[in-house]
Amino acid sequence: MYKATFIIIEKSYLIRKGLISIIEKIPNTQVIQQFDNEDDLKTPANFESDFIIINPNLLNANTLNIIKKIAKNTQVISLSEKSIVLTKELEWTTQIYLDDTQNSILKKLNTLIGNRETKNVKSEVPEEISKREIDILKNIALGYSNKEIADKLFISTHTVVTHRKNITRKLGIKTVPGLTIYAILNKIIDINNTGKSKS
Amino acid sequence: MIITKNIKMADVIHTNYFTLSVLNRFGIELGFGDKSVDEICKKNNVDVDFFLEIVNAFVDKDYFPKKHLQTFSVKLITDYLQKTHDYYHKLKVPEIEHLIEEMVDSCYTQKENIVLLKKFFNDYKQELLNHTRREEEIVFPYTLAIEKAYNSVESDNSVIELMETYSIEIFQNEHDNIEEKLLDLRNIIIKYLPQPKNSRLCNKLLYELFNLEQDINDHSRIEEKVLVPKIREMEKIITKKFAEK
Ligand SMILES: [Fe+2]
Ligand SMILES: [Fe+2]
Repeated sequence: MYKATFIIIEKSYLIRKGLISIIEKIPNTQVIQQFDNEDDLKTPANFESDFIIINPNLLNANTLNIIKKIAKNTQVISLSEKSIVLTKELEWTTQIYLDDTQNSILKKLNTLIGNRETKNVKSEVPEEISKREIDILKNIALGYSNKEIADKLFISTHTVVTHRKNITRKLGIKTVPGLTIYAILNKIIDINNTGKSKS
Repeated sequence: MIITKNIKMADVIHTNYFTLSVLNRFGIELGFGDKSVDEICKKNNVDVDFFLEIVNAFVDKDYFPKKHLQTFSVKLITDYLQKTHDYYHKLKVPEIEHLIEEMVDSCYTQKENIVLLKKFFNDYKQELLNHTRREEEIVFPYTLAIEKAYNSVESDNSVIELMETYSIEIFQNEHDNIEEKLLDLRNIIIKYLPQPKNSRLCNKLLYELFNLEQDINDHSRIEEKVLVPKIREMEKIITKKFAEK
């Protein structure tokens, strides 16, 4: 099932809490991370989310770059008073104002989530892993690297990475040992043959 | 609920049973009668302010006063982290191993699957051990040396040499997400493992895995959001101090 994920970057605890409680009223949403300052953005963290809601006051040259980088797959929403002029360097999906009513915030967010869902529907339908993915999974479980798998199956490393991401999303398993157990449990590989034969 | 100095230590545990493991790390043992948190901490030589922030953050993942936590000494912070490592290796990991062992013994129909879990956890245990060992042997001693240089009036060149070989930045980049595999294991058991006859053990195992994962989460948060920024700040000031000379 599609779940819309959010990251919130805002200094005020009260505002963050308030916003989270509104977001959580929408089914299948989750606030996966919250930051109260821009410094923490430097730490390597999992930024994969559908939406980022950020107070533009917390943007500086540095954070702007980070946000820009992740904004390819993530929609950025501003959170501010009406009077604040937004930086033109970012593509803002929408703006939430501090004096918005709950209904208007819900409406803005629901529209965005709706749009995103339709876009994602294509990749969401086959929840079961495909035959191609099983091939890839088999090789991962046997201990091959992305590069080796790419060479073996005559596809690009990039394609292997995409397949891996989809496998992880579908199964909910991220690590190689985890995927290996899955492969054994589902008889994709043989328990006595785990590990590539070194020749 | 935020735990404060004046409430009874007994009530801390009554309200949240998980605080027991934190108390254990601070060397506080049961049998407090009606004594307050403050009294019990004094009696055990525990810094009560530090204890309160740690225990509150442990219980409530939204409560994380990192700025305040950064004001405590590196010694205090790394001591706590170190004790948490011990708690994992001496208590939690053996408990989980024991449970899996019990599952292997009591399961006839799908022994090979449980053996898989056992191997997975065994590898994980080694990984966790390497992770914490590296922190104990390299990172913590480094942070303590930085604190020492930071506090001392004389400037000793050896710390600059040390900073040339290691930095908290390196730790930050190499510090891996050790919880991820536990989440995988949990998912495998919940979603994909053919359910063994003995579901009591299986549920218990899930519960323990979940607890360990949460605990490590809290632990890594202290490492990354308290220890790292604190040391980074100290490194800056030491470098400045030397540049001025
Ligand atoms: Fe640690
Ligand atoms: Fe760690």
